[in-house]
Amino acid sequence: MGKSKVALFVSVMILVCTTAFAGGEKEMGTETPAAEQALPYEGAVLHFAVMADQFADYTKVLSDEFKKKTGAEVKIDILGYVELMQKITQDYATGSAQYDLANMDIVWTGQFEQEGWTKDLTSWIERDKAEIDYDDILPVLWVMGSWNNRQIGYPLAGYANSLIYRKDLFEDSGEKAAFKSKYGYELLVPDTMDQLGDIAEFFTRPEENMFGLVSNGARGPAVAQDWMEYMRGFGGQVLSPSGEVTVNSKQCVDSLVFFVELFDNWAPPGAIGYWWDDRESSYRTGQSVMQSSWSIARAGYEDETISLVAGKTEMSVTPRVEGQEAGYGVGGWGVAINADSSDENAEIAWEFIKYITSKEAQKEWMRNDGAPIRYSTLNDAELNSEMPWLGKILTVFEEGDGDYRPRVPEYSQIQDILGLRINQAITHELGAKEALDIAAEEIKALY
Amino acid sequence: MNLSNLLAIDKKKRTLMWFLVPISVYMVVFFLYPVVYNILIGFTDLKLGRTPVYNGLANYSELLSDDQFLTSLITTMVFVLWAVTVEVIFGLLIAFLLNHENRLMEFIRTFILIPTVFTPLVAGLVWKSLYHPDLGMITYYIRKLGIDIGRGLIVERSLALGAIVVVDIWEWTPLMVIILLAGLKSLPTEPYEAARIDGAGEFPIFFRITLPLLRPTLLVALLIRSLDALKVFDIIWAITGGGPGTSTTVANLRIYEVGINQLRVGYAAALSNVLLIIGVVVGLIFIKYIYKKEG
Repeated sequence: MGKSKVALFVSVMILVCTTAFAGGEKEMGTETPAAEQALPYEGAVLHFAVMADQFADYTKVLSDEFKKKTGAEVKIDILGYVELMQKITQDYATGSAQYDLANMDIVWTGQFEQEGWTKDLTSWIERDKAEIDYDDILPVLWVMGSWNNRQIGYPLAGYANSLIYRKDLFEDSGEKAAFKSKYGYELLVPDTMDQLGDIAEFFTRPEENMFGLVSNGARGPAVAQDWMEYMRGFGGQVLSPSGEVTVNSKQCVDSLVFFVELFDNWAPPGAIGYWWDDRESSYRTGQSVMQSSWSIARAGYEDETISLVAGKTEMSVTPRVEGQEAGYGVGGWGVAINADSSDENAEIAWEFIKYITSKEAQKEWMRNDGAPIRYSTLNDAELNSEMPWLGKILTVFEEGDGDYRPRVPEYSQIQDILGLRINQAITHELGAKEALDIAAEEIKALY
Repeated sequence: MNLSNLLAIDKKKRTLMWFLVPISVYMVVFFLYPVVYNILIGFTDLKLGRTPVYNGLANYSELLSDDQFLTSLITTMVFVLWAVTVEVIFGLLIAFLLNHENRLMEFIRTFILIPTVFTPLVAGLVWKSLYHPDLGMITYYIRKLGIDIGRGLIVERSLALGAIVVVDIWEWTPLMVIILLAGLKSLPTEPYEAARIDGAGEFPIFFRITLPLLRPTLLVALLIRSLDALKVFDIIWAITGGGPGTSTTVANLRIYEVGINQLRVGYAAALSNVLLIIGVVVGLIFIKYIYKKEG
């Protein structure tokens, strides 16, 4: 074949290909049914950064349903805790608008509001108050997503901090008798920190690879957040209500001494390096008898494909020092809309938020590892028969304290400081008092 | 030489110069610009998303009293010293063993390179599971041997850095082997023949002939690995995250915490400039020794 013939052949092929495939999507669109063409947000694409917690997979299902109803595609990007925080803060700080929607830990509320990184949802909530049934969502969850009277995060998944324990061991007559003869009182679910310590000690039997109490010890947010739960139980605060740094108060130091003892005596040897998933594995494999954990993990304990303690688990409110008022730990995730998203995308994002948090979606959300935000969900008879622990979650929410992890704009830096100093205490690099004194100085330096 | 010849040469040179444009642009955009930019923002209080304000030497004055950074520099030096020393010794020994031509050696030479193919982050995650204090295979066998590792290799402050060094040695010794093997193969045969005729034993031959002749290659290998080890980040981030305590927090990890977690980009730039200077000094020392010997 001569050069000219080759050139002619190539030219014809290019012409044929470009004619055949040009605007293919549009051509195909002409064949779609009229009903689909009427979808209000056809062709819109949004990006949603989702925390890699239990509910993440079902968020994808809800996203698919939303697309069928509205035509808008919400692409889900599932990220680990540290990765999520870094990605969205960099996205917000640089204004790159990579994510229209993002899960936000309620402790980030102050920072996001102060930096102006996310949209204030207040006017949308006011506009659609009846549609979202505002009063059906627990007040504590609204408060946790709010800062300076601006609603930064819309409640998505409420977590109740709870004591998770092996009810089969607590109800075992032999264990009960042995405990009573050793400690002089009945083996019951602990109300106080002293009782928690006794029970943890009682069930710690390294020769049987069984440990009484497990907690996160890994340097960073894992250890900082778990310690703050114990700190709350001891009546301590990182910051006083007036903003004073009180992280080295007597209550906080006592709680850290208890926390160090937990790792020294009652936790599996490797707990010092545990993140959330390690801690959960330790409990689910039957290695640990008790843990203070978020209610989102509760349903998973009954799933025999991932749990060796199915049917053997119960949850209760967390213990506290004697005389300390109830004020249980509440946490969880909200959804925020990027301040740099276009108005059109922000409106679609708002519709998506309403859809995934609606009463209609909540039942299946709960059945698929979701976490509750509504009274109607927590009081639903059908769900309560499937998940008898919902009543306890409601108790925690009603008496909930979402501010024991201070939601101030400096929270991330405070968590960084505590993540190191608490870890240094449990590894005996620093004493409890010394670690918290250093942390207090470092936190003061932030202001 | 007449004018037409000169023009022809210039034209040839001009053509050749065009070939240098892509690499020059690449170097300027990806090397020179970031370094200069980093040096400049090291003199500002730049925080991500905020307008930077020039603050002179404030960042450098702060780092002098930044215990966490200074400790991380010491940890980095300890890491580099241990990792590179062991890698060179192992690399040399293995290179000697492989310096024979047969099919088995050919196979081993290929096989031994596998660890270097791993992305450090992936290698780190794999080793993290092997080191897991309760479930890790390595932990299990070490305890089975009756060796006391306390709560675990990566959660004991006294053992964690050592555990990281082992991973680095596993990953990068093969590179040393390949470099040193190439050096061994390029050595002249005459000095060996002369020494053997004179009745010299294997040890004197190694210390008096092989090592001196191999010295430039050794220095190049040391230079490459030392500079690389100074920048270590991935495996530590994956395995310990800098803990327990500050025991495995190397300089790059501290810089990452300051720049990415705290968004204090200006200060992080100043810290990384210090690391850059250390790297340049180390590099210059090695290069000086390499040229001194060659001279």
